[in-house]
Amino acid sequence: MTTLTHDPAHTAPAGRPQNAPGSRQAGPRLGGTAWLVWRQHRAAFWTLIALTVLCVVVMVFLRGQVVDYLDARPQKSGGLPPDFEQYTSRLSSFGGYLGFVPLLTGVLLGAPLIAGDLESGTAKLVTSQSVSRLRWLTMKLAMPAALIALSTAVLAAVFDWWWSPVKGRADTLEWTSGAFFDVTWVMPVAYALLTFAVGAAVGMLLRRTLVSMVVTLGVVVAIEVVWDRFRLSLGHIMSVGTDKGVGPGAARPELPAGAVQQGQGTYFLTSSGARLDWTACLDKVDNDRAHTACLESKHVIGWSMDYLPISQMHTMQWLGAGIMLAVAAAIVTFIIVWGRKRLL
Amino acid sequence: MITADITLVGSPGGAGDRVGAGGRVGDFPAEVDRTQPALSPTRTGPTLPHAQEPHMDQAGTHRGSGTGFAPPVGESAIEAHGLGKQYRRGWALRDVSFRLPAGRVCGLVGPNGAGKSTLMGLATNMIRPTTGGLRVFGAVPGSTESVPRTAFLTQEKPLFRRFTVAETLRLGRELNPQWDQEVAEGIVDAGRVPLKAKIGTLSGGQRTRVAFALAFGKRPDLLILDEPMSDLDPLVRRELMATLTAEAAQHGTTVLVSSHMLAELEFICDYLLVIANGGLRLAGEVNELRAAHALLDIPGGGPFPAVAPHTVIEAHRAEGRPGALVRLGAPITSGEGATPPTLEELLLAYLRSPDAPSLIAPSARVGDIHDITRDRQKAVTA
Repeated sequence: MTTLTHDPAHTAPAGRPQNAPGSRQAGPRLGGTAWLVWRQHRAAFWTLIALTVLCVVVMVFLRGQVVDYLDARPQKSGGLPPDFEQYTSRLSSFGGYLGFVPLLTGVLLGAPLIAGDLESGTAKLVTSQSVSRLRWLTMKLAMPAALIALSTAVLAAVFDWWWSPVKGRADTLEWTSGAFFDVTWVMPVAYALLTFAVGAAVGMLLRRTLVSMVVTLGVVVAIEVVWDRFRLSLGHIMSVGTDKGVGPGAARPELPAGAVQQGQGTYFLTSSGARLDWTACLDKVDNDRAHTACLESKHVIGWSMDYLPISQMHTMQWLGAGIMLAVAAAIVTFIIVWGRKRLL
Repeated sequence: MITADITLVGSPGGAGDRVGAGGRVGDFPAEVDRTQPALSPTRTGPTLPHAQEPHMDQAGTHRGSGTGFAPPVGESAIEAHGLGKQYRRGWALRDVSFRLPAGRVCGLVGPNGAGKSTLMGLATNMIRPTTGGLRVFGAVPGSTESVPRTAFLTQEKPLFRRFTVAETLRLGRELNPQWDQEVAEGIVDAGRVPLKAKIGTLSGGQRTRVAFALAFGKRPDLLILDEPMSDLDPLVRRELMATLTAEAAQHGTTVLVSSHMLAELEFICDYLLVIANGGLRLAGEVNELRAAHALLDIPGGGPFPAVAPHTVIEAHRAEGRPGALVRLGAPITSGEGATPPTLEELLLAYLRSPDAPSLIAPSARVGDIHDITRDRQKAVTA
């Protein structure tokens, strides 16, 4: 009896009625490299999904508490009840926890992604199948990236929803802080994808899981430090001034609701439009007359303050996210170009 | 350089003439007949490497029924031109040129660190050459033409430890368009490896069996096995070798297998590549290589007598009978006390003498495209 090399009856993988015992687990129905990537990393993926759901449940619950509290005490003239502090602090501390999401995706999902396969040799196993390296690498990056994007987008949306009832009311919540800026709108998606790409690239270059995780941790912390210094320069700083003098009775400039003051406190505004630091004439502050004379000699006519209005928040987040996504795309391109040629 | 004109014996075809004309050397094919197909009764004989050398194939290799699975004359499974690979610590392979005709089971032999794994990695795009190039069925390794046709079982036989056996086979099914589940499951079942067991819980031998199943199930045209048998017990080793030869014969698969089990290579291989110090020492059909050498009895002590016109590969004086393994330079007359070497003796001699001049049989020599077409024309007109 002879059998042809490409006997179609033998090579119909899809038509097999029996289901492999391993495929009974819950999970999406996938084929090809998608099946492989899901199967290989399913524990990590399920953990990611479960943590996302848990965070969402907690946030929905906490938001319910805030809304109930606010409903019971109708707003009076913009102020907030004194014991409201505990709710706002919960909000900002939860935002702080969500700020660790990029670190976790980089260290726990990105770094072991390719390093694990290189360390255990399974990269050789996969690349000696019929599927091309490019397809495998692409799927390996795309599937976790899609899950990360989805889960961070959900977290960001729910957090924003939790924040919305008190957004215009609580002056204590600075939207420019990482606890709000980095975890709402598109920022967490871009941030997490960037650290994921960094982790994957580090893992590919270092080829050892543990070392890659440690190095990724360091790199992500460095990114965090740079980003913290750089974040506010994405905005266009506005100024508000007065021209009613700077005497004890003179009105201070008022910031719009939700604005966050920038710069070194309040400045003196001179008639020419220039601004003086608040320390000008500070040495004469003990003597009212000398102080006034000093200020008049400098033609001070009022106060001036710098601020970032909350209306700029989304623009700034788009800018920041765009930069991060561009860097992430460059890293992914590097992974694919390098990986195709020199992975093994 | 290694392939520089060290012809088998004189002009192509000359070796066969002389072997055929020689007195005792003419007995070699009978010996080959007895040993070689022991495990492979169904093996299709290798096809004529060169149409103008029919004598080479009188060695009983036409025993197969010739069912037509043999690839066309002249097709190369692997062709290397001036192949070299330099690592930081030095050259692992240097200026290696050879061709492996399609449809052969080829043993790749050499001492540790000789460059065997490097050569296999080069053929499967795991490693990129520093110099020269290599083609698999005429295509670049790693290209979409060559990747589906090549299966590679690396020395470490990596598998996903958390996958079950069934999932590992599914991996093969998902990633290979020509996957043959029956073949793969057959190999796994023969070892009674439970399909639901996790790979991490299997013994080393069972894991090797699963890795084999994955390689065979791909239904490749070129199967590359790097030290496949090292952690198997003798019975399993024989069984898997029988599977290997049967599969290869049935489907015309070309097999390149590296091993240190010289005696066992004799059972499965009809082709041979020997590497030492990063260079090719021997290449060609097992039969023609054996026929080109002889063990000469050289009784008595004293200085080693001249054995011209033969070339001494290795003189062993201490162990067993004193004598030398020589490469024949002329037909042997019956009075010389010559016996044909076994494959193991031949390989050992070359492994012990890495500086021996290399011998590349005509069928293993690379030519340019004109050679191949000229051969084909001759084959047609002859």
